[in-house]
Amino acid sequence: MSNNVISSSLEDYLEAIAEIIETKGHAHTKDIAERLQVKMPSVTNALQALSVRGLINYQSHSPVVLTSRGAEMAAVIRHRHSVLKSFFSGLLKLEEKEADETACKIEHVIGETVLSRLVVLIEAIAGREDCASLRDFLETTMPRVKTEVAEGELANVIPLNELPIGQSAVVVQVDENLRGVKKFADLGLVPGTLLQVEGHAPFGDLLRIKVMGSSLSLRSRDAAFICVKLT
Amino acid sequence: MESKVFRIALAGNPNCGKTTIFNRLTGTRQHVGNYPGVTVERKTGVCRIGDFRAEIIDLPGIYSLSSSSPEEKVAFQELLNDDIDLILNVIDAGNAQRNMYLTTQLTELDIPMLLAFNMIDDAEKQGLVFDFGKLEQFFGAPIVKTIGSSGVGLEELKSAICAIRDNPSPQRPVKPKYGPKTDEAIRALTAGIAALNLPETRRIPARYFAIKVLEDDPAICSRPGFEPFCREAGEWRRQIAARNGINSRTLMADVRYGVIAGACREAITISSDRRRQLSDVIDKYVTNRFLGVPIFLLMMYLVFEFTFTLGQFPMDYLEMFFGWLGESVTAIWPAGHGEFLRRLIVEGIIGGVGGVLVFLPNILFLFLAIAILEGTGYMARAAFVMDGFMHMFGLHGKSFIPMLIGFGCSVPAVMATRTIDNESDRRTTIMVVPFISCGARLPIYSMLIPAFFALKYQALVMWILYLIGLVVALGCALALKSTLFKGEGEVFVMELPPYRLPTLRSILILMWEKTSLYLQKAGTLILLASIILFVINTFPEKSDYSKDYDAAIEQVQNSSLAEAEKTMAVSTLEAERKGEALEYSIAGRIGKGLETVMKPIGFDWRVSSALIGAFAAKELFVAQLGILYSVGDSEAAEGTLQRALRNSYTPLQGFCIMLFCLLTVPCVATMAVVRRESNSWKFMFGQILLFTVIAYTITLIVFQTGSLLNIGTSISAPEETAVVESAGIGAAR
Repeated sequence: MSNNVISSSLEDYLEAIAEIIETKGHAHTKDIAERLQVKMPSVTNALQALSVRGLINYQSHSPVVLTSRGAEMAAVIRHRHSVLKSFFSGLLKLEEKEADETACKIEHVIGETVLSRLVVLIEAIAGREDCASLRDFLETTMPRVKTEVAEGELANVIPLNELPIGQSAVVVQVDENLRGVKKFADLGLVPGTLLQVEGHAPFGDLLRIKVMGSSLSLRSRDAAFICVKLT
Repeated sequence: MESKVFRIALAGNPNCGKTTIFNRLTGTRQHVGNYPGVTVERKTGVCRIGDFRAEIIDLPGIYSLSSSSPEEKVAFQELLNDDIDLILNVIDAGNAQRNMYLTTQLTELDIPMLLAFNMIDDAEKQGLVFDFGKLEQFFGAPIVKTIGSSGVGLEELKSAICAIRDNPSPQRPVKPKYGPKTDEAIRALTAGIAALNLPETRRIPARYFAIKVLEDDPAICSRPGFEPFCREAGEWRRQIAARNGINSRTLMADVRYGVIAGACREAITISSDRRRQLSDVIDKYVTNRFLGVPIFLLMMYLVFEFTFTLGQFPMDYLEMFFGWLGESVTAIWPAGHGEFLRRLIVEGIIGGVGGVLVFLPNILFLFLAIAILEGTGYMARAAFVMDGFMHMFGLHGKSFIPMLIGFGCSVPAVMATRTIDNESDRRTTIMVVPFISCGARLPIYSMLIPAFFALKYQALVMWILYLIGLVVALGCALALKSTLFKGEGEVFVMELPPYRLPTLRSILILMWEKTSLYLQKAGTLILLASIILFVINTFPEKSDYSKDYDAAIEQVQNSSLAEAEKTMAVSTLEAERKGEALEYSIAGRIGKGLETVMKPIGFDWRVSSALIGAFAAKELFVAQLGILYSVGDSEAAEGTLQRALRNSYTPLQGFCIMLFCLLTVPCVATMAVVRRESNSWKFMFGQILLFTVIAYTITLIVFQTGSLLNIGTSISAPEETAVVESAGIGAAR
């Protein structure tokens, strides 16, 4: 791995540092932790990693300073972010927050060429005269597309504990915060698995499901972490 | 002939019929032990296959080779440490998809493998059709069809084992491919780990560890030298998860099930849709919201009756036999010679062996009942039905059975905790179950309650005592579960296996196994403790008594009293002598030494000494107290003792004595099985400490509060003093 490539979480840190410096003038570890909603030791680790790569100057108890390379890299990352965000909010008409979050997720994986071409596309649609009718079309259609699709999808996706008895469903997603998520996965509760609710225990919150030819019982509050799609 | 034993590890999911196959192969040539530090059983057996001997290690039933439970940890340790020549993976053919998840992990160990598709008849009835050629190719391991319950396919299994053994370079399993990015990550991590050249990678390939690191398995990641790879694996996980749109924490499970689903689509077809219908019909009633609990209670009533009522007959015979044996030895013993040896044999050894064997019928019947409940699959339903209730106290649904059996006897109750799979639930249950008022405490209540309480309060007092035992047990369970035995990240998922008819063979083997375990492990400890207690209660022997009893007895015999009065007077004298001897013994001395400690809870030295003696068996408390109050042990003596007690203690003291007996350390037999079941001396001594502290504290609170509020603090029944005096006891003074 070359020194120029850094992991996406480090990119997030670099981006955050640049933004904090811009708004407050200087970035302290605490500010970074607050902004990214992570614990202080994680920040310290990340700052050390960035410092090793020569992107920041970091000494404990003094504000973080970007090196020239760091500043340059931060600018690139932020540019990518703003391009993507304008794509999502300007063309796809997503809400500000959703556009921002989606941009955050994509900015780390997208290549420079794709990004440059995306810039051309955005500028073309936003500026060119022959795109006026397209702009109107997007303005009216995009918001509706979002709601229609979401409603249709959401109606069919429910947490496992709300699945009616006898109804078959397929696991769509298992929340990572489910306690013992690995154990459930070992027993076959992974996306794509077909299951059926067989019943409830006489009292308490036990649920009984049929998965791959075997009956499993689990607690309803754990089942709430498992999203299933009706079939 | 052969220099080395061929070692076979038997692996498979719980309820896949693995134990049946194990029993088929080894018969009774089994050895059951424990893995160090945990309560997981380690079973090995020897089997003659063709012209060689094979050692078979029955690994605990597991769903996965990760380290999320003690079972999985020991299974992996076994595969890592022992020189395993072959893995025999038993697969429930009716549930092949889930069962093959473990198989994919086993292939990664690079140990020759043999697959047994068990209960193939059930699977075929469900309409499943297998293409075994394709499956053999997929796993790189031969497959044998078996039916464990009837022994079909066992010969084929043995010859397949032979073929693998005789092959100088047996086929290694095929390692599944998990997709481009995942395989790339595994390759990169494997290269790194292989470069370390660790001792563990000599037997198990580095690739296995690489996959475990990629899974973020805590047990592997914490091994020395693995730390840098775990960090690298974190990065890989993120990339794979992003690329495949799956959870990074369950990444390997996702891709494994993906691979298996692919294999199943190709190799297994469903011809019709008949699925275990009978099982579902039964469950409609048994786990029904309304019928579930009544059916459960009925089953429990039957188990209790079966264990204790039916077990009572052989128990009585056993007691009679040992009584007769003791008397016979005494009768043929040459008078005046080796008096000490005679007493050691009769009271110490014969009494001790009797004390061990007396539990045997209960254990036998209980495990017969449990074998049936487990073998049929009802046990899991019972846990399902009762979980809501037991969960309120931090216990597992399966803890209900030991608790219930605890009302009969703590010894089989502690042994019944074996059915609880979860380590921390099991330990909690073992810890609290002896608080439940067992049958041996009943004689204490029936002696003391009528002595201190008017008839109309007797039932109430008894009920209160049972209730206190239950409340303390559940309260302690709750407290322990939220502190000491807090399960680490464990979750509740339990499989409800389909109902099956257990084979007589497996039931008998289970009974035999439990009984022999009890005799070997707990029995020897009980015997030893009985002898020690005998010594404590007997030594040092008193040689000069306060009066010459022999002369006094002779005087009575020669007097002109009526025959009945003579017997009465003699037995009183004998009891007085015994009382003096006990007072002089170690137990008596300890009792006296404890007087200052026991005074705040209202006990005098007699009660304390009797408690020490009662450690051998709870019901002995009454006999010991009788001796100390110089009351003979005849039937008529019961009333005498009650009067003596009434005149010496207040009702509050009487209640406190019962309370302490209820809550204190049960008896040596219980402690011995606790030691054996928990597999830890520390646990056993911890329990002794807990019980002593709780019994003392609660009794102290009750006694001090009662004294302060002046409840039951006056010695009652003065009208009976005359009777007491005429009996010549005069304990009131």
